[in-house]
Amino acid sequence: MRLQHSLFSRRAFLNSILGGGLAAFAASFIGPVVKFIFPPYKEPDEVKLPAADYNALPANEVKGFAWGSKPGLIKRAADGSLVAFVGVCSHLDCNVTYLPADRKFYCACHKGWYDENGVNIAGPPPAPLRRLAVTVDGESLVIKKQG
Amino acid sequence: MQKILAWLNDRLGLEALSRFGMHKEVPRHSHTIWYYTGSSIILFLGIQIVTGVMLAFYYNPTIKEANASVARIMTEIPLGWIIRSIHSWSATFMIAIVLIHLLSIAFTKAYRPPREATWMTGLLLLCVSLAFGFTGYLLPWDDLSLAATKVGTDIPKAIPIVGKWVTSLLRGGEDVTGDTISRFFIVHVCVLPLVIFLILGIHLFFVQRHGMSVPLKDEARKEKLRSLPFWPNFMLRETGVWLVLFGSLLTVAVFLAPSLGPAANLMSPAPPGIKPEWYFLFMFQMLKLFPSHILGINGELVAVAVMAAGFLLVLILPFLDTRPAERKGRIITGVAYATFAYTIALTIWSLL
Repeated sequence: MRLQHSLFSRRAFLNSILGGGLAAFAASFIGPVVKFIFPPYKEPDEVKLPAADYNALPANEVKGFAWGSKPGLIKRAADGSLVAFVGVCSHLDCNVTYLPADRKFYCACHKGWYDENGVNIAGPPPAPLRRLAVTVDGESLVIKKQG
Repeated sequence: MQKILAWLNDRLGLEALSRFGMHKEVPRHSHTIWYYTGSSIILFLGIQIVTGVMLAFYYNPTIKEANASVARIMTEIPLGWIIRSIHSWSATFMIAIVLIHLLSIAFTKAYRPPREATWMTGLLLLCVSLAFGFTGYLLPWDDLSLAATKVGTDIPKAIPIVGKWVTSLLRGGEDVTGDTISRFFIVHVCVLPLVIFLILGIHLFFVQRHGMSVPLKDEARKEKLRSLPFWPNFMLRETGVWLVLFGSLLTVAVFLAPSLGPAANLMSPAPPGIKPEWYFLFMFQMLKLFPSHILGINGELVAVAVMAAGFLLVLILPFLDTRPAERKGRIITGVAYATFAYTIALTIWSLL
């Protein structure tokens, strides 16, 4: 079938070419801008600490270290081994503290509680504290991602 | 002098402006008092701009210097403490009056047609004001501001799929760090001011285009309402209100200067008894009350969804409340009072 009249005028066609072209030109900037505003982040593969600093750590005590930009916590467990946690609450990311008298981790932001193994037991936290693997390599403690 | 004025007038068309001021009339009725809230917000916005620029002369948005530069403003710079105190208190005053402005419009139902878009731009302005408060809170970089920012920027993480990206966008990375300070600073002093001027311009255009809203019962009456010329009668009264508010602001700013804790440490635990600014307290209490899981769904996600749904309902209120004078309108008023009471109750609870 042959149409008697064009569906749109020459003016409308040219307007859409100009407008659409400008929009496409502007849109081509979005990608690079978005790329730029998200900085790269890589969690440390491992952190090495001098073992001597932690050897004297008594049972039921905690000592901190830097896990990238997050606080890490090393704790002497009841069986004498060292365990490590990322000391960040699973609820809304506040840094937690260990209360030796209660044998619990505590987050002051929204009153979240974890037991001495880092398992969430009361308040809003939805998950346990993240565990890290601790191994001894000569004079160093090597903290690695678990699993 | 006359000549200069005439020249200026010729170039700028100032006469139109003064004609506008003289012909604009403000209706008089039992709710006229709420009209003053709008201009009072502008007063505090002006104070924020002036004091904000002054503070930026000395403030350093870096992880090493942020806290120390605020300490320097408080202790070494002549009158620095009062400038920071005014900036901090004026933010509180501004948000308080924004909320009163919003409530007065909600309860007189001034959002009804043709002012739906005025209402919606107003709510956006509330969001921008809260964003100002949130970004400004981090800048002194003490333990409290770090913990509050960690929590606030972590909340979007609960949103499925895009949540992690939003958090990373806000923080400038995986965690709150020095990059977050620079990001919050430039947003606080550059991005948000541009946004607030744009939306405020549109908002004021709508206000002028549709004129002042009058209460339903006065609108229903046949005879014309009494009114007051904007210039000089209303302006004189407005100036009085401004002076009282400015006096109150100075008084609290002098006697209750904001504190400044030691510089935040990324590795130290959140301080006990942390609380956000008063206008976020109801959200804070909700997040605290929601258990970790509700019917198997992450409690945080539920809390965020409830708050987002509440905001959306308020945003589209003009389209829900289509018959304000009838039974449906009265039910909506009831729900609005209940929501208001709930928010106040949560806020008070969070302080106990």
